[in-house]
Amino acid sequence: MRYVRNTVRVLLVVIVGGLLHYVLPQHDVVRITSTEVIRMDFSSVNRLFFAQPDSGSTNLTTRDIRLINTTRKQTFLFGFIPRDSEKVMVYRNEDTGWIWPPYFKFDSSDLQAEASANVSGPGAEQWVVLTHYGWRNRFFTVYPNAIGVRPIDGPDVRIIPWFNIFFFIFLGVAALFVRAMWRQLRERTIDPAIADAGQAWDRVDERADQAKGRVSRWLGSWRKKK
Amino acid sequence: MGLVRLVFFGFLALSVVYLAISVYSRSVRREKLEKSWEEDKPEGADAEARATYLRDGMKKYQNGIRPRLILLVYVIPAALVIAALVFTNSN
Repeated sequence: MRYVRNTVRVLLVVIVGGLLHYVLPQHDVVRITSTEVIRMDFSSVNRLFFAQPDSGSTNLTTRDIRLINTTRKQTFLFGFIPRDSEKVMVYRNEDTGWIWPPYFKFDSSDLQAEASANVSGPGAEQWVVLTHYGWRNRFFTVYPNAIGVRPIDGPDVRIIPWFNIFFFIFLGVAALFVRAMWRQLRERTIDPAIADAGQAWDRVDERADQAKGRVSRWLGSWRKKK
Repeated sequence: MGLVRLVFFGFLALSVVYLAISVYSRSVRREKLEKSWEEDKPEGADAEARATYLRDGMKKYQNGIRPRLILLVYVIPAALVIAALVFTNSN
């Protein structure tokens, strides 16, 4: 039983953690090398990892996806510890629209223009902080979605993830609040109801005992007298 | 339409939150009233006096600012959505 419970717990942590890691914004220090548009035919595997077409357009199975090709500074620990090495990274750039994830992004074209304005080659590097969510997966052709681009002077910047800080504080406060609500509900509504039900059950039990007494007495009257 | 869906389901979800919080808040206030009654009830007060005390206290709570503050459950997320819209889409 403990084994099952621990498995469920671990699964829950992995799923919720994965979801948060996918959806929450992250900041990369990158240098944009080019921007491009490719046509994509989604499969059932990678459709889930793309948003919808530009919010004014209709949704077809095939459409063009804006991509931002970059060289990215590598990091450790979700971007908190910078590394010296660089690696290429490709971001998609599409509207999230009104629903999910709740970034309410409608300015993909403007973002693409901004990205194009910051394209730089070796020798004259223009570094930018690129905010994004999502994962890159080469086997399923999945790209993280770029949300914003901010030019910076050099690659050594300290990025403070304000949104994530406030988000996790809010999550903690909300969890405590829900716990307080649940306790109040139990103390004031569920426990008294259970006590009531317990008393009612005792009464039923008592009456059943009496009834049983009557029946067994009646049965006894058919038995042979000793 | 995405916006219509967002408003519809957002309203439903926030209404659940609103109802839960108002029930919780009333329950906490009632418990507080019951305790304060137990602490210093007038001499020789009967069950009816207690019921009146509780009813008056709850009426006072219902007319106070607290139940209205719970309406912020609708206001704050709407404000956050507008803030997100502005932040994401401004260059």
